[in-house]
Amino acid sequence: MTAARMLLSVLLFVPDRLASAAGNVITALIQIWANKIRSLLTVLGIIIAVTSIIAVVSLVEGFGDYVTNFLRGLGTNMMVVYPEWLRGPRGEYLRPAEMNIGDIQAVDAHAEAVRQTSPVIWLQGQVEYGRQQLTSVDIRGTNEFFQRIRNFYPDAGRFFAAVDVENGNSVCVLGREVLRKLECDESIVDDYILIDSQRFKVVGLLESKGSFMGDNQDEIVVIPWTTALKMYPWRRDYLAFYVEAVDEGQIGEARNQLARILRERHGLKPGDRNDFGIFKQDEVLREFNNIRMIATGVLAGIVSISLLVGGIGIMNVMLVSVTERTREIGLRKSVGAHRRDILMQFLTEAIVLSTVGGAIGILLGYAIVHLVSLHPSMVKATVPLWSVGLALGFSAGVGIFFGIIPAFKAAIIHPIDALRHE
Amino acid sequence: MIADQHDNSKPVIELIDLRKIYRVGTELVHALRGVTLTVRENEYVAIMGASGSGKSTLLNILGCLDVPTSGEYHLGGQDVSKLSQSKLARIRGRRIGFVFQSFELLPRTTALKNVELPLRYTRARHRRQRATEALQRVGLLDRAHHHPNQLSGGQKQRVAIARALAQQPDLILADEPTGNLDSTTGEEIMAILDSLHNDGQTVIVVTHEDDIAARCQRVIKLRDGQVVSDERRQDTPDVPSNPQPVETP
Repeated sequence: MTAARMLLSVLLFVPDRLASAAGNVITALIQIWANKIRSLLTVLGIIIAVTSIIAVVSLVEGFGDYVTNFLRGLGTNMMVVYPEWLRGPRGEYLRPAEMNIGDIQAVDAHAEAVRQTSPVIWLQGQVEYGRQQLTSVDIRGTNEFFQRIRNFYPDAGRFFAAVDVENGNSVCVLGREVLRKLECDESIVDDYILIDSQRFKVVGLLESKGSFMGDNQDEIVVIPWTTALKMYPWRRDYLAFYVEAVDEGQIGEARNQLARILRERHGLKPGDRNDFGIFKQDEVLREFNNIRMIATGVLAGIVSISLLVGGIGIMNVMLVSVTERTREIGLRKSVGAHRRDILMQFLTEAIVLSTVGGAIGILLGYAIVHLVSLHPSMVKATVPLWSVGLALGFSAGVGIFFGIIPAFKAAIIHPIDALRHE
Repeated sequence: MIADQHDNSKPVIELIDLRKIYRVGTELVHALRGVTLTVRENEYVAIMGASGSGKSTLLNILGCLDVPTSGEYHLGGQDVSKLSQSKLARIRGRRIGFVFQSFELLPRTTALKNVELPLRYTRARHRRQRATEALQRVGLLDRAHHHPNQLSGGQKQRVAIARALAQQPDLILADEPTGNLDSTTGEEIMAILDSLHNDGQTVIVVTHEDDIAARCQRVIKLRDGQVVSDERRQDTPDVPSNPQPVETP
């Protein structure tokens, strides 16, 4: 029988042979169990490959879900506009460009695709309440639209009102993490805290948003931007602001309009670089997709190397097995086994071996994902079913690819030589 | 009278001028130099010969493990001397039962599963039942679920005989079946082969022991690839499968 015919008989694996296939699988399992340590060492490469597939895919998917949710939580039609650093002729950084309330009001008034703007001042400050003292807390100076634009609402008390912004009142809204660190409960509402040694009335508490990439979004104090400027007057020329477009489809248009207005007000000539930056969600997404691509690339590297190593290991151990079991092959042939029977037996053994490795890898992958998920600041990662299918497919494929040569070698042994083999 | 009986029963094996030439390096080895013989149904034949006499080669060809260089081999009326590997495998599975000197049972596999093995390869039906019957035939039904390492040498050889019987082959080929056994156990094994013969089975035993050959009806001696003697023993109790009608005087 030629190689082509043998291959054909493998392909024409009719249901009639299912019973003998099951027999082969049982034989293979017995064989693998009889050589436990050898089998385990053999499939180590496969185990590593499959574990990496499961763990990395699950974590990347988990981050993906998280980023999607985060962006949704951010408000889907939001942008942040901030002053860029000006650059010298050799590209060195000089100083931040200026952006003041006039710029923001102009955008609000003239950009039709913009529904609302909200100035924002980022500060780091010290918060005191009773004997508790927190340093380097994120303090956000903004206006009453912040909650809508950022989709970040209070669930106790209230947000500060337009009148607080107008008058520059010393009122604040606290995030839940600040509350936790100050070791107090919701009774803090209507009480007073010190922010950079200045008395602020707590009017409300924000709902919990959780952390993103290790950055806890609930560790935040929000105050009116006018109040923030009273404390840090020099910031008035370096304002940033949130922009909400009228709807999601208009984000691009809103961006173009505000860029035109700001360029005009800043006296930029055509060809000059913008002296402000615009941060959109799709940039977060792009950033994240870069990370995802790097992770996938690293994964592909690990997986292909360990599958190659694993495959060679399987081929090697199968060649040893064929030599060890030459007499068995002779016996099987003498009682009527065809070449394709022997071929299928050894091929099945290689596939079962690599698939068992794959199964162990899947379990390990699950365990790693579970363990990693236990960490509090970790995203919630679940193993997607398709990655399990992919992993099993890969490992079975390696079994077929690297098992075919030893199986072929077994199949073509002449029965007389085999029975004479010592 | 006895010769007449044999002439009237069906031939199982017919060899016509069978030759086998091997190439060992640059040298040609003539392992069989024209063997012509007929074995009829229910014959009990011993093939003897020193090593190098060609008896292993003859056994391999009789067992369809190998094909002759020239000459013809008819097994049950079918010329099998020029068949493909695949067809030979089929014939080995269905029509020949091998018994080896070193048993050749699969380890980590129960006696019953070992007996089932040929049935698996020929995709026979009712495997479990047929294997059980074969084990019963050699008196080892109570060991059906034992593994070979739990069996004595004699028991292993009985399992091997059951495996040869499972397919109800035309021919049982035993290659030094007592070679690895002590004389008492060897005696038991030979008693089983005797009883198979008495039940109508065609049995060929390859041996170099005279006492084993003495149990057979017919002894064929080989030397240098040729049959040097072919004797039928008169005193062997013989139960022919097709008894001749008694001629009226």
